[in-house]
Amino acid sequence: MQKHFLAKLGQSVVLLLGVMTLVFFMLRITGDPASLMLSREASPEQVAAFREAMGFNRPVIVQFADFAARAITGDFGNSLHYRSPALQLVLERLPATLQLAAVGLLIAVLVGIPLGILGGFKPGSIADSSARLVALIGQSVPNFWLALILILVFAVNLRWFPAFGRDELKSVVLPAFVLSLPVMGQIVRLTRATVLEVSSEDYIRTALSKGLESRTIYVKHVLRNVAAPLVSVIAVQFGYMLGGSIYIETIFAWPGMGQLLQLAIGWRDFPLVQAIAVFTSVVVLALNLVTDVAYAAIDPRIRYGN
Amino acid sequence: MNRKLTLALAVLMIASLLGACAPAPAPAVVVQTVEVEKQVVQTVEVEKKVIETVEVVKEVAVTPMPEGAKPTGTLRVALSGDPNSLYIPATADKNSDIAASQLYDPLVFQDDDGNIVPALAERWEVSADGTEYTFYLREGVVFHNGEPFNADDVIATWEYGKGEGSAWPDRYAVATSVEKVNDFTVKVTTDGPKPLLLVTMHDFWSIIPNEYMAEVGVDGFQQAPVGTGPFQFVEWAKGDHITYKANPNYWREGQPKIETLIFRPIPESAIRVAALQTDEIDLAQRLSAEEAQSLLGVEGIQVVKYPVARIFYITFNNLTSGVGEPTENAKVRQAMNYAVDVDAIIDALFNGFGKRAAGYVASGERGYGIVEPFPYDPEKAKALLAEAGFADGFEMEMACPAGAYGSFEEVCQAVTGYLGEVGIKVTLNIMESAQYWDLQAKKELPPLFGDSWADESGEAYNRLAGALGGNEAPYSAWTDPEIDRLLKAISTEVDAEKRTKLYEELQVYMFDNPPFIYLYEPMTFEAVRDRVQDYKPRPSEIYYLNSTWVAVSE
Repeated sequence: MQKHFLAKLGQSVVLLLGVMTLVFFMLRITGDPASLMLSREASPEQVAAFREAMGFNRPVIVQFADFAARAITGDFGNSLHYRSPALQLVLERLPATLQLAAVGLLIAVLVGIPLGILGGFKPGSIADSSARLVALIGQSVPNFWLALILILVFAVNLRWFPAFGRDELKSVVLPAFVLSLPVMGQIVRLTRATVLEVSSEDYIRTALSKGLESRTIYVKHVLRNVAAPLVSVIAVQFGYMLGGSIYIETIFAWPGMGQLLQLAIGWRDFPLVQAIAVFTSVVVLALNLVTDVAYAAIDPRIRYGN
Repeated sequence: MNRKLTLALAVLMIASLLGACAPAPAPAVVVQTVEVEKQVVQTVEVEKKVIETVEVVKEVAVTPMPEGAKPTGTLRVALSGDPNSLYIPATADKNSDIAASQLYDPLVFQDDDGNIVPALAERWEVSADGTEYTFYLREGVVFHNGEPFNADDVIATWEYGKGEGSAWPDRYAVATSVEKVNDFTVKVTTDGPKPLLLVTMHDFWSIIPNEYMAEVGVDGFQQAPVGTGPFQFVEWAKGDHITYKANPNYWREGQPKIETLIFRPIPESAIRVAALQTDEIDLAQRLSAEEAQSLLGVEGIQVVKYPVARIFYITFNNLTSGVGEPTENAKVRQAMNYAVDVDAIIDALFNGFGKRAAGYVASGERGYGIVEPFPYDPEKAKALLAEAGFADGFEMEMACPAGAYGSFEEVCQAVTGYLGEVGIKVTLNIMESAQYWDLQAKKELPPLFGDSWADESGEAYNRLAGALGGNEAPYSAWTDPEIDRLLKAISTEVDAEKRTKLYEELQVYMFDNPPFIYLYEPMTFEAVRDRVQDYKPRPSEIYYLNSTWVAVSE
C-alpha cells in the first residue's frame, strides 16, 4: 500500500512537470506580451527595455529553467497586469472558487445520488424517466445560456437572487446551480447504471432467494457497491469544477480563479496564467491521490501492491 | 472575449486532464463533457426608434441636492473589466483610467468643453518661445494622507512617471525638466513648443505625494494609492469591487457630492444590464445598441448615448507588405474608399448608430469638417481603377482582429464583399487580437488591415502621428513626406488658429491621397438609474464624478 502510494506520488510529480512544460511553451507560442502591456505609442526602445526588465529577451530554455526553479519554491513572479505577486493573486481568489465548487458539488451530490438510486431500483418508472431527463439536460444544456436565462428569471424578474457578484450568502446559489448541472447529470447516470448492474448480480439474487429483507440487501449490498465509483467521479469532478468554472465565473462576475484566468490570458499575463495552471494541477493531483487511498478503504477488493 | 475564454478553457482542460489521467483511481469510467464553442450568427431586426430622443438626461422629480450639503449617498458604477492599477502611469485601459482618475488632480484640468482650466495650479505663464511654462501652485491643499501639496510633488510625479514601471514614460518625458522655483512655483521646460503639453498634463500628470511615494515605493503605492482628488481610496478586492469615500478636505468647495463610490467589474454587458435592472448598480457603460434598446422605457432607468472619439479604418501599407502592391497608387486607394458603403454597414451592424468617418479626424476634434466623407460610388471606383490600370481588378490579403471591437469582424467581412464588387478580390484573415497586435507592432500584417484608434486629447495629432509615423511609429504602416511635413508643423505650432488651418490642409491632402479606407466613428451606449444626477460622460470615455450626485428619494 505504501509502495503503491509512493509510486503514485512519483507519477504525480512527473505529471506536474509535464503540465508546467506544456503551459510554459504553449503560452510562448501565443506571442509577446510587450505589445499588450505597453501603450500603442511606445517607442522601440521602450519595448526593448520592457523585454529586458521582464527577462523575455533571454533564450526560452533559460526562461523555462528559471521559471521551474522558482515555481518549486512557490515563486511565480509578478503578474504583468496587476504588477503584484502572481501566487498571492491566485490565493486571494481561491476562497471564492472553493465556495462555488463546494456548493456546486453539494447540489450535484444531494440531487444526483438519490435520483440515480431511485431510477436504478425501478427502471422504467416515472422516477427513472425524470432521472434520465435530469442527466440529459445536465450534460447537454450549454451553461452560459442557462446562466443568462436563470439571471433573467430569478434575478431580474423574480428578484430572488442577485444578478452578479459575491456580496451575500445567497449570491452563490445561481452560479453554483449552473456549475452543478453537468456533474449532477453524470452522477445520476453513473449511480443509476451501477445500481442496475449490481441488482442483477448473482449474489443479490442469492440474497433475495435466501429470503433476506430487500431493504437490507439494497443498503448493505447494492449501495456499498455504488459508493466506490462515485467517490472517484466526485473527486475528479471537483478538480474539474475548480478549474472549469471560467465561463460561469465570468458571466456572474464571481471573483474567483476562473475569472482571473480569463483575464490573465486576455492580457497575456504569462506569470499569472502559469501560477493558475500549476496551482490547479497540484490541487487536482492531490485530490487524485486522496481518492486513491479512500478507494482502497471503501472497496476491500482493491488491495494495491500485490 | 469568446476566444479568450476558449483558450482559457483549453489551458485548464489540459491542466486538469493531465492531472486526472495518471494516478486515476482504478476502474472509474469518466465521461468528460467538453464544451465546444459555436458561433451563432443572428439576424436581428430591431425597430429603430426613440433612442435619439433620450440623449439628454431628463430631469427627474426628486429632492434637489441642497447647496453646501455634506456628501451623501452611494454611487455604484459597473466597469467592463477589473482595472489593472490605480496608479496613473501604470494604467493599461479605460477601466483603470476611470477608476484611478477620481483619486487625483492634475495641475491643469480639461473641462467638459475642452478648455484648459486651473486645478492644482492656480495660474501659469508661458515664455515667448513656448518652451517654458511657469506654474503657480495652489496653497493649502493636502493629500488624503495629510501630506501637504507643494512643488516637490510635481517633480516627483514627473520623475516617477517617466521612470521604471511606467507604461507611458513619453507622456512625462515630453518635459525635459521640471524645476522648483520655490515651494509653490515650478518651471516646466520642453525642447521646442509642445502645443499638447497642457492636455497631456491633464491626462497623465496626476499629482502624487512625494514623501509617501518615497516611503512605500511604486508597488506599495499601488496597494494604497494617495492623491489630492475628490475621492480617497478605501479598499480594492480584486475582481470584485473598489471602494472610495469622499475626501472631506477637498479643495474644490462643495465637492464631491457622493459619500461612497463603488466600482464593480462586470465583464459581460448582458449582466451589466441585468444588474442595473435589479438595482445592484447605478451606472453601466459599454452596452450594445440592442441592450440599450431593451432598456428604453424601463422604469427608473435612462439610456445615454454619445459618439466616441475613435475612428475605425482599414489601413494601407507602403512600408513592408504593401510595397509594390497596387495600393501604392493613390487612385486605387481612392477607388477603394468609393467602393465601400459605410452607411449601409452602420445600418446593418450597428442599427444605424455610428457616423461615417470624414477622414482621420473625429467629429469635434480640431479642424474637423473641412472634408466630406467619401460617398458610396462603385461606378466611380471602377472608373478610377481602370484609370490606374487595374480595370480587371487585383487580389490582396487583409487581416482584422477578432473580438477586439463590437462586430468588427463582420465589418471586415462586409468591406471584403464591397471590394469584391469592384473587382478587388480580398482574402480576409481574422486573427486572435493579441497575436494581431503583436504582428501589427512588428509590421508583419498583410497589406490591408483593419483597426481603430482613439484619442482623448480633443485633437487628432496623437492618432495621426501614431498611425502615419512610418517606421518610427510601431503601429504605423504608412509613410508620406507631405503628411510628415504637416504633422511636424502641427506638433510645434502653438497658435490655435494656425493649428486648425494645418489640420485642414492635412485632411484635404489625405482625401486625395488616402492612407486608409475611412470607416466610421462609433457610438457608445450607457444606462443610468434615475437617481444619478449631473453625470457627464465624455467622448474620451473617461468621466469625472466630482460633481455627480445621487438623489435620495423620500
